[in-house]
This record gives sequence, structure tokens and C-alpha cells, in this order.
Amino acid sequence: MTMPLSVTDCVVRSDRGRVLLSVPSLELGPGVSLGIRGPSGAGKSTLLYALAGLSDRAEGSIRWGDTELLALSTARRTQFRAAWIGMIFQDFLLFDELGALANASLPAMFAPRSDRSALKTRAGAQLAHLGITALKRTVDSFSGGERQRVAVARALSNDAGILLADEPTASLNRDAADALIADLVAKVRNNGKTLIAVSHDAHLLDSMDQIISLTDGQIETPSGARPA
Amino acid sequence: MIALWDGLPAETQDIALVVLLILPALIVGRIVLRGYAPWPLIGALLWRFRWANGLFVLLIAVSVGMGIGLLAQERGLRQGTAAAADKFDLVVTAPGSEITMMLAAVFLQPSDVPLLDGATYAAIAGHENVALAAPLGFGDSFGASPIVGTTAEFAIHLSDGRIEGRMWQDYGEAVVGALTPLQIGDGFIPAHGVGDGAEHDAHGGEELHVVGRMGATGTPWDRAILLPIETVWDVHGLANGHAPEHGEQIGPPFDPAYFPGTPVIIVRANELWANYALRSEFITDRTMAFFPGTVLGNLYRVLGDIRQAISLMTLVTQSLVAASVLLGLFILSNLFQRQLALLRALGAPARFVFAILWSYGAVLLVVGAAFGTVLGMIAATVLSRVISARTDILVSAPIGWSEIHYLAGFISLMTLLSLLPALAAFRKSIVAGLRS
Amino acid sequence: MLTRRAFALIALTFPLAARLYAQEGTIKLRDLYNKDLSFSELAISLEGKRIFVDGFMAPPLKAESDFFVLTKKPMAVCPFCESSADWPDDILAIYTKRTVKVTPFNVKILVHGVLELGDMTDPDTGFVSRVRIVDAKYK
Ligand SMILES: Nc1ncnc2c1ncn2[C@@H]1O[C@H](COP(=O)(O)OP(=O)(O)OP(=O)(O)O)[C@@H](O)[C@H]1O
Ligand SMILES: [Mg+2]
Repeated sequence: MTMPLSVTDCVVRSDRGRVLLSVPSLELGPGVSLGIRGPSGAGKSTLLYALAGLSDRAEGSIRWGDTELLALSTARRTQFRAAWIGMIFQDFLLFDELGALANASLPAMFAPRSDRSALKTRAGAQLAHLGITALKRTVDSFSGGERQRVAVARALSNDAGILLADEPTASLNRDAADALIADLVAKVRNNGKTLIAVSHDAHLLDSMDQIISLTDGQIETPSGARPA
Repeated sequence: MIALWDGLPAETQDIALVVLLILPALIVGRIVLRGYAPWPLIGALLWRFRWANGLFVLLIAVSVGMGIGLLAQERGLRQGTAAAADKFDLVVTAPGSEITMMLAAVFLQPSDVPLLDGATYAAIAGHENVALAAPLGFGDSFGASPIVGTTAEFAIHLSDGRIEGRMWQDYGEAVVGALTPLQIGDGFIPAHGVGDGAEHDAHGGEELHVVGRMGATGTPWDRAILLPIETVWDVHGLANGHAPEHGEQIGPPFDPAYFPGTPVIIVRANELWANYALRSEFITDRTMAFFPGTVLGNLYRVLGDIRQAISLMTLVTQSLVAASVLLGLFILSNLFQRQLALLRALGAPARFVFAILWSYGAVLLVVGAAFGTVLGMIAATVLSRVISARTDILVSAPIGWSEIHYLAGFISLMTLLSLLPALAAFRKSIVAGLRS
Repeated sequence: MLTRRAFALIALTFPLAARLYAQEGTIKLRDLYNKDLSFSELAISLEGKRIFVDGFMAPPLKAESDFFVLTKKPMAVCPFCESSADWPDDILAIYTKRTVKVTPFNVKILVHGVLELGDMTDPDTGFVSRVRIVDAKYK
């Protein structure tokens, strides 16, 4: 289950008013995967944050299906994220003092009681699938690659329809990266999810349905669609 | 409603009050945490800042401990001194300060007190409602023990009859308090006066013998050596209270003509109202009568005002400490802005993040208060021991209901206050938090 | 402790109502007896009930006890110097719910508690009382 994305005239400015991101138009069908590339500082993370409804400063229109994200209150946006979006952050953002399973199933802490056990089971299954076996050991002793996989498992734990991934393979070796790429793509294909991934990884970009390039906050090849 | 409350036993009222006082904290906790399972996360954050948290807990514990220790100690002192005066219903002395006389008669503090004559004693002892009228003769000592001359009836009254060995039957015999170093069968020579100024050879070295030992009373009398008052009069070269033809008699009745005087008469009446009648009767220009219980009660009332001021001060100090701890938390929460932003990015409602911060503070407060209680109990116990050792008044200061109420009130107040630093959850935008 | 009273008041929430009621139903000590010192009808009808009585706290015999004597007049003037034979009819034994805090003998207090009639020997002091207020509080 997922929905289409439609961005129109979206502008994100910094506190001082500098334009960090300006997207006149971006359309994405449901269940399509999109790769975003661009040099460092181009605004890739900024775009992902905006699409997740995290940015207070975004103007214009970001529609997920019938939901106009920018028109929602903060609380409603949070609800939307909890229900629809799984995020993988560029620097993982794990709780060092918690174990792999507790990190991966973090959303269970605030999920409705009825969803908690399903969420934990899913998180555990994801970890196993990604080859993380030490479930209890606190993640501060994990390697970069292991931490990244825990972060991925967390993003997948709520079985969200939309996956937003910021450099999901940056810390993985080639084999692990390829496995993860195959995995994510399969998820998108089989379960009808939308995947938007920021990456410099050619393998990942190659597996995406579409690719855009960002430079200085502008989309360079808005119609850079590639045949699927 | 009021009638219902009044009809409840004190215990039930106390418990109800605890519940009532802790209720705000419980309600807030329930509302804030409803539907969430944040404890592993709170544990993780607490562990991350364990040193700072340890310090916070210690600060709260010390301030709470001081408050509780003080309250318990004050009540312990009151109860201890009141119990020490329990055997002294009515005291008749020469006019003067009731407090001085009470300190001398009940707590055996040496002081210069004028004497009552034989006629006064006879009037009291002969009163129809008087069950016991005991003269007390102070002034001599043996080592750290004051020597008190009195009657056998008083020694029995004082010790509730718990006398090991036997009561004195002759001039040279003594009954000692439980804490005196003398054993039954020991001999000793009394010194004139007490303390460093005592003259050791003043009484010509007449040796007295211990024949009995009283059970512990938890009062300064445990340190005392009791003699027949005749002996005390005799060693001072005075008449011995009896006409020459009854020269060998020990104990009442005394002959007013041969009664050298006594500074204090301890009276016990056989009817409640008679205590009041006797008291009125012996408040004259030559005698003073008072209830040590009243003197103490009045003292407690005056001290109670001071105590109120002190408890208010400790409460304020305690609140200030707790407030600065909460402020510290507010500052500390800067350090986990990123984690909080992450939670919100993952779809955690603002109330969840709020709940994390609030619980963090609440845990520190409750743990601090719990440690504080233990600290307070230890402090009160140690202080009680010191006071008991110094004064021989048995003081014990267990935690009572007022301390529990105080704690419950403190916890409720502070958990309510810690809603404020939890507002830090909403300080920064999510993206700014994620980038920090 | 300092705030017990305040807590109690919060707990009761209607301190004012209590005070109003108190003024209406207050009983005079002498109303409890007939001329011949037998119990009055009023006393008998109120036995076992919670009543209000006002008076003065006689200087207590014991500190930290749950007992005191309520007198009609301040204790400075001796009420029984002349009559020492009978139980005087203008004093009343009060057994309190909580430890007595001594009130000066010349301050009027209002006692609220359960009326008990009949001789009773105090197990601690051995003193006998004919009439008592038990489970009492005062202000
Ligand atoms: N609050 C802000 N105020 C000013 N500038 C900001 C702010 N947030 C981000 N920027 C700037 O916006 C630009 C885009 O940042 P963003 O993190 O989106 O880059 P990116 O494309 O993800 O880069 P990278 O590949 O290094 O992660 C950067 O130059 C960054 O310094
Ligand atoms: Mg980035």
C-alpha cells in the first residue's frame, strides 16, 4: 500500500532566508522508486526531510496521495509519518545504550498497544534477515555497517508504505550493499512501496525506476526518467 | 463528608492523606504516560548521563534526608523528654522558675534551689488525695552519677517496681540506676557537690553500699544513685527528719520539727481532679506547684513555632534544590535534543517525547526522595543515639506519618513542577534537532 | 507537622461549613448534668454521638499524651478548691484522636468528639472519669 507523490513549487529556506531547496515540480507514481544524487551540500537530505514533513520551513505543496502534508498541523504530520513513512537517516541515529532489537523496534514504544508485538516481531525478522544476530548487546559496540543495518531494520519495522533512505548503503561493503539494494527493491516491487533513496552508490541508483540530480537545491534533470 | 472523615481512625486518616497527597503525581504520571511503553528508553537516557544523574539524586537525597531527619528528630525529642517526665505528675518546689525546677527535679540538672520546710511537706503528704509525696535531696555525687535522697516509695514508683536486688532498709544502703557503673554489693563514698567542683572528702569518707539496681527507665535517673533521704540529711550533719526517739526510722512519716527541708516534693494524686486541686492549693507565696507535662507542653508549643519556621525553611531549601535539579535537567536535555528529534522524526507524538523528559525527572526525584528517606532515617537514628548518650534521655526517632506526608507532598509538588523542564521537548524544530 | 492542618483542611474542603455547624450545636458543660449531678437528658440523648463542646484546656498532666481536661473557666482560677469530694461538674475528660498540642489555659477551644458516659478508668494513669469526649479534635 502506498500513494503517489506530487510536489509543486516547494521552497525550503534557511533561518536566514537563503534558499536551500527549490522544487517547481516533482511527480512520482505509487510504488515507484526514485534515486536522488548530487554533490555534498546540494540539498538532498533537505529534500528528504521536506518529503517526510519534518521541515517547518517548507513552502508550496507536497501531496502524498490526497494528503497535503504542508497543510497539516505538526501533530497530524507526526501521525502521518508514524503511519506511512519509514526513514533511514544518513548517520543512523541509534540509541547507543539500547540493543539492536530495542533500537529496531523503537516505534513500538509509542505505537498503540495492539500493534506493539507485531512491530517487534517485524523488527526482529528484519534484523535476522539483515544478518544482525546480537539482539541484546548495546549498539554502541556495533560496527558502522551493523549500525546501518539496524537503522534499516528500524525503518522497515512499521511496514510503512513510503521508504525515505538517506545514503542507506554508505557504510556497507559491496556485498552487503548489494544485498540490501536487492532487498529494498524487492520490497518496493512486491509490496507496492514507494522508495526514495539518496545515494552516491551507482548500484543503488541503477536499480531505481527514476533518478534525479540535485545541485544547489535545484533539480537538474527533472525528467531524468529511465526506462524501468 | 466531614463527619465521615472525623469518624475515621487516625491511622486511616493518615493513610488517606498519603493517598491524597501522592494522587496528583500518580494522575499526572498516568496522563503523561498513558498508552506508551517508554521505560527502556528512559533507562537508556538515565544510564547515558549516570554521573550527572547520580549527583542530582544525591542532592535531592541530602535535602530530603535533612528535612525528614529533622522532623523525625524533633518528634523523637519531644516524645523522649515527655516520657522522661512521665513519672512526675505534680512537682512542688519553692517559688522560682518552673523550667529550672523541672530541669532539676525531672532531668536532674544541678541547680541552686531553695528548700521547702517540714510543715509544707506534712501538708502535702497528709492531703487525703495524695498517694505519693516524695522529697528529693540533691547535691552530692559519685563520679558522673548524681546522688538523690528520697523515699523507697518514690524509687519503686520511678522504676515501676523493677528493682534487682532489694530496696534499702538501712542508712548506708543505696539503689542505683541502670546506667551507673556500680554493681550490687559495691561500696562508694559520695562527694559533696557535682561535677569538677565536687569535694571528695567533705563527708568524712563514710562508705555506702549498693543493695539494689533499678531497671532502665530511659531517663537521666538511670545515671542516678538513690539513697534514703535520711542518709543525705545525715551526711550533711542535719537532723534526719525523725524525732530522736525514732532516730532509726527510714522513710515517712517525717516529723516537721526535725525536717531539714527538701528542694522538691514529687506528688502523685489518686484522682485526676485532685492534681488540679493540689496544684492550686500549693501555688502560694512560699510554694510553687506545677505539672512538668504542662511545662514541657508549653515548651513544645514555643519550639513548635520555631520548628514550623525550620520545616518551612527546609521545605524551601528542598524545593530550591529540586528546582535547580530540574533546571539542570532542562540544560541536560540539550544534550539529547538529537535523540528527541529522532523520536519525533520516527513519528513519536510530542506527548511521548514530553513523557520521556518528564519521566526522566520524575525518576530522579523519586529515587532521590527514596534515598533521602533512608538518609533521614540514618541521620535521625545517629542523632538520637548521640542525644541519648549525652542526656541519658532515651530518644528514638523512627519515621512517622508526618514525614511520609511530607515526602508524598514533596514528590507530588516536584513531579508537577517537572512538567516545566519537560516542555524542552518542544524547544527546537525537528530538522534543527536532527542536524545538531 | 507544619502542614498537617492545612492538609486536613484541603482534605475536608469544607472548613467553613464545619465552623458554622460548630457554632450552632455547641454544648455547655453544665448542660450535661442535672442539679444532683446525674446525667441530664441532653447528655443521655447525645451519648455515643459526635458533639461540640467549648471550654479551656487545663494545663495537662502529661506532655505528648492524647488526654486533657476541658474546663468551663480558665484554669488560673481554681474550680475545685472548695469542693474536692465530688467529681466537679464543670470539667470534662477529653481523649483526643492525635497527640495533644498544648493550648494556653486562657485560650478558648472548641472540642469535637464522641460523648461517652459512665465511669472509666484510664489504663495509663489510673484516673477515673465519669464523662468523656473521645476520638476528639479541637481548635
Ligand atoms: N538550518 C540551516 N541553515 C543554513 N544552512 C543550512 C541549514 N540546514 C542545511 N543547510 C545547508 O543546506 C545545504 C543542503 O544541506 P543538505 O544536508 O540537504 O545537503 P546534502 O545534499 O544532504 O549533503 P550531503 O551529501 O553532504 O549529505 C548545505 O549547504 C547545508 O549547509
Ligand atoms: Mg545529506
